[in-house]
Amino acid sequence: MTMEDVCCGLKVGQSVPDFRIETFDPSKGDFGEFSMADQKSAGKWTILFFYPADFTFV
Amino acid sequence: MGAEVVTISTDTKFVHLAWQREEKLLKDVKYPMGSDPTGNVSRLFGVYDEETGLALRGTFIVNPEGTVLNSEVNYYNMGRNMEELKRKFKANLHLAEHSDEGCPAQWKDEGDRTLRPSAELVGKVYEALE
Repeated sequence: MTMEDVCCGLKVGQSVPDFRIETFDPSKGDFGEFSMADQKSAGKWTILFFYPADFTFV
Repeated sequence: MGAEVVTISTDTKFVHLAWQREEKLLKDVKYPMGSDPTGNVSRLFGVYDEETGLALRGTFIVNPEGTVLNSEVNYYNMGRNMEELKRKFKANLHLAEHSDEGCPAQWKDEGDRTLRPSAELVGKVYEALE
């Protein structure tokens, strides 16, 4: 492990840049999209919950 | 809970659909399941594992202005405590309305004791929490 290996990732207090990702939305039973920009313009709180893989425990 | 929750893995949206329909534990899931097959969003939050192509167990609370207020990352083999996540979220809501206060570790819900940093508080946190 060198200093170059230790890098990046948003820290608390930093601003999240706008990004979009495709989603499957179980409440609608359909595909959709999540947009960080839309969250900001709607004034909504967001919780992002990353996990390794489907078909494993969360 | 007052926040939009989005779960994110590097699986495609098609796999999300198949998993949610197959796994009975997920039948009541209402949150949108985000797909990050390139790993770009996972990299942005520093949870992408280049060795495996998977995202580590990271949780981030972002306020309406788009600022990250909380960050927690666990390795593959440890799950997250939902009560602690709710506690942090409620504390954020309280602090958004009361910017001169701080929520100590014991703070659980509205009505619990908070702290107001001041010269008088220095060395007297024990008494303030009594």
